[in-house]
This record gives sequence, C-alpha cells and structure tokens, in this order.
Amino acid sequence: MGVLKDLKELMRGLGIAGKHLGRHAVTIQYPEERWTVPERSRGVVVLLSDKETGELNCTACMLCMRACPTAAIFIDAPRDENKRKHLKEFRVEHSICCYCGLCEEACNFSAIKLATKYEFSTFKKEDTLWDMNKLQEVGRDVPYVDTRKKKPVKKPVEPKPTPPSVEATKDAKTQPDAPAIDKEKPDTKNDVDSPAAPPEAEEKRDNDKNEGKG
Amino acid sequence: MTPFILLELQPVFVWLYNLLKKIGLSGSWLTIVSYAGLSLIVFGLLSVVALFLVWWERKVSGHVQQRYGPMRNGWHGWYQTLMDGVKLLLKEDVKVVTRDKAVFFWAPIIAFVAAFVPYVVIPFGKGLIVADLNIGILYILAVTTFMVISLLMAGWGSHNKYALLGGMRSAAQVVSYEVPMVASILTVIVFSGSLSMVDIVNVQSGLFFNWFIFRLPFGPIAFMVYITAATAEANRTPFDIPEAEQELVAGYNVEYSGMKFAMFFLAEFINMFTVGAIATTLFLGGWHGVILPSWLWFFVKTLLVVFLLMLFRWTYPRLRVDQLMGFAWKFLIPVAFANLVLAGWMKYARWYW
Repeated sequence: MGVLKDLKELMRGLGIAGKHLGRHAVTIQYPEERWTVPERSRGVVVLLSDKETGELNCTACMLCMRACPTAAIFIDAPRDENKRKHLKEFRVEHSICCYCGLCEEACNFSAIKLATKYEFSTFKKEDTLWDMNKLQEVGRDVPYVDTRKKKPVKKPVEPKPTPPSVEATKDAKTQPDAPAIDKEKPDTKNDVDSPAAPPEAEEKRDNDKNEGKG
Repeated sequence: MTPFILLELQPVFVWLYNLLKKIGLSGSWLTIVSYAGLSLIVFGLLSVVALFLVWWERKVSGHVQQRYGPMRNGWHGWYQTLMDGVKLLLKEDVKVVTRDKAVFFWAPIIAFVAAFVPYVVIPFGKGLIVADLNIGILYILAVTTFMVISLLMAGWGSHNKYALLGGMRSAAQVVSYEVPMVASILTVIVFSGSLSMVDIVNVQSGLFFNWFIFRLPFGPIAFMVYITAATAEANRTPFDIPEAEQELVAGYNVEYSGMKFAMFFLAEFINMFTVGAIATTLFLGGWHGVILPSWLWFFVKTLLVVFLLMLFRWTYPRLRVDQLMGFAWKFLIPVAFANLVLAGWMKYARWYW
C-alpha cells in the first residue's frame, strides 16, 4: 500500500514540524539581551595596557602597521636623542579596518588585540577614527595573556641558559592566570635575570579559551 | 414586515432588536437596522479573527523555525497586525498606468466580500447562526467560488505577466480541487440527509464518536480529502502555486499595495478560517462538546484545523503545477468518488450507526 506509506511519511513530517514548534527559540532579543561572543572572535581593535603599571604595552615597533592589509593603523613614534622610539600617536581607522587580526598576530608585545566588543557604531564618520587614548581606554578591561618578553634591562647581565625544569612547566600549566611577564623563551639570547620558561604562553592563549556560545 | 430570511442568531438578534426598539425605531426600519447591526457584529468578529490569525500564523511560523516571530508590539507582539494595518492604510496606493481600471479596482473588493459571505450560514454555536438556509453547504460552495473570479480579475487587471500567471494558475487549481472537495462533502451529506448546516451539526450530536470524522471507514478518508482540497482552495502551501514567491514574485497581488493588498491578505486568512469552520461543521461535530459553551467549542475546533494548515505550510514543499493537477485528477478525485460510492452503498445497506 504505497498510499498508506506516503501518508505515514506525511504524518512524520508534521510530527517533526510540531517537535520544532515546541523547542525554545534561539533568537536573541538584541537590545534587551546580549550575546557574549567567543573570546577569540574579532571585534573592535584596542591597545592593551600593562596590568601593573597601566601603561601601554606598545613599543612602537611598527610591525602591526606593516602587517595591516588595509593600512588602517597609523603610528607616530619619533626618536628621542638616545635614538629610542617613543609612542606619540596611535590611530586606528575602524571604517577601513577589515578585522583580519593580522596586527594581533604580528605583535610581539601583547600590545594590540581585537577585543570581543562589537558595539562601536557611531553616527559620525569621524568617530570611527580612534586615537591612542580611546584605544587605551576601551582596551583597559580587555583580558589578555601577556606574552611579552621581559623588558630589556639597562645593565647587561650574564645570560643563564638553564634548561626548563619540569616543575616550572607544571606550575605554568596549572595556573593559567599567572602573569607570564617573568617567562622567557629559551632561544632568545636576552639579558635575563630569571630562569627561563618554555614557550607555552602561545599555546595557552589557544587552550584556556572560551566556552562561549555558538 | 416578515423577515425574508429567518434569523437564527437568536440571543444576539433579540438583544439588538430590543435595544433598537427602546431607542425608538419601529416598523420595517427596526428589522432592517437589526439585520445591519447583526451583519456588523459578525463582520467585526471576523475582522478580529483575521487579525488574530495573521499574528498567530507569524508566531507559529517563527516558532517552527525556532525564531520568536513578532515580539515588539505588546506582549509577544499581540497588536503587531493592527500596526501593520495602520501602516498599510497610510501607504500610497500605487496604481499601474496600464491597468484595466474597473477590473483592478473591483478585484480586492470582490475577494474581500467573497471571503465574508459564507459566514451567513456558518453556525458559530448553538443557535448562533445568521440564517439557517436549507441549502447551507451548497450556498457556501457557490459563493466561495467568487474568490477565483477575484483572483483572475486581479491577475488580468494588473497588466503584469506574473500576476496574470498567478491568476490563471489559481483558476485552474481551484476548479480542479473543487471536484474532490464537493465529493468529500457529499459523503457527509449522504449521511446527514440535509444540506442545512444546523442539521448537519445536529446529526453529529452526542460524544465525539458521532462526529463524521470518526465514522469508519469513509469518515477519515473524506476528512483528509476535504482538508487537502481545501488547502488548495485557500491557496496555501503546499498548493500555493498562484503566489509561488520563487516563480511569480507574489502572484496575482504583485501590483497591489496599501489597503487593496491588505484586503487580499485579510481575505486569504478569512478563507483559512472558513476552511476550518466548514471542516468543524461537517466533520468535527460543529459546536458539540462537553462542559464548555458551544461557541467556544466551535472556535477551539476551528482554530485547531487552522493550526493544522499552518503546520502544513512549514512541513510540505510546494508542488509543481503538473504534479498539482495530476494529484487532483489522478488521485484525489478517484479516491473521493470511490469513498462517496462506498458511503452511499453503506447508507443503502444500513451498515452504519
């Protein structure tokens, strides 16, 4: 009886429609409720500040500016009399930015990040150009994993290339929030006064992330 | 003056009649104004029902797709349709220059009127019927056909190939599906022995096993044939080729805007309610039920049928034109007539209860 079989299938279809009718809607009522986007999603570009000192992490190395495919980043860093660069101005034009995240990848100092904030539309075109202060202010409460090398100390000290101990690795793994400021990549021959840790900061950035929606 | 149609909507009519008498009307005016008031009451009720159905359709559609549907106006958007109506009223009535003026103008009006006219004989509850015509169901079948004419007029008057195609398809479809629908209705009439809607409901009095849908074996078959054909009559998915969006933009109402479009839209939803009301009256025992008042039973059953039509929309894909015709002529009509013959034979042999 082909007809009965067809009828059964039609009823099954109705059942599936009815089942979906009973489910809860997945829509988010936007202005009332907001979606916390996954931590690695790429939203507004911000500049990150040091957690202790509150100063910008940026060293004006210009890597992000060069990495930017749309030239949305402008950095002005004149050299002083000691030929050291000082960050004077840092602008991001958010209307040009394509939110690719290449600047974040290029940065060696955890200074720039595409935060998870996504509400930065404005009524004026001029307001999409963010200067250094605004970038810093918006980036204040943005959580990030500090992967900076220890800042170069003036006085040169003897490098102590100690092999990474097992305990140190364990410690670093069990404490994801531990400040990574003291860590040091072993292959970098820098002036250090602390025992070097293996370069797991990069992994951690990927690992301890997010159980965000979706 | 004796009323030329015997009014049966007794409680409401008597109340209205006495009210007008108190105000000071008398003679033939009293009767005429009472009729007009009664018509207005039914009209208003159906308008509210149509507005509710539009909202409900959107909610059901949304929730089947795991959306919310309208949420902004009031609690879960309950007066969204009202706001849409206001918007449509304020909109510009765009008219095509090359239109056929008279046809273009009258099409939505005929559609609107044809949608309301069947409610003259539909019993909303015990005694709640405008006029108990002794040819009730025949009357409904006759007047609902005006809908086809209006769609054809809309298609022709628009001077638009999509609209014309939609109207033509609609005509072909409705004419085809009229046949199985009438055959399935005849199955009921064979047993009720009357064309009057009130008589048909009275035959099904008692508990639910007296309803025609539970008269085995022909009841369920007739009901299914009726629902299928009625879905096609109301131009709803999966038989909505007259307004197949992917093929015909919007079908016969492409060129309509503003309140004329709203009239088509409301007419469509009232047709849906008519389908539910007829299904309730013929197959689901009309107003009969326990505990609850009769009009409430009528509305509950009707809205359940309408809900079924809404679920159809989100379950079944649209048929191709040739499949649609093939389904009507090669499957539904033979089934409906075989069912009719079976029912007639059982009636003759008295193999029924």
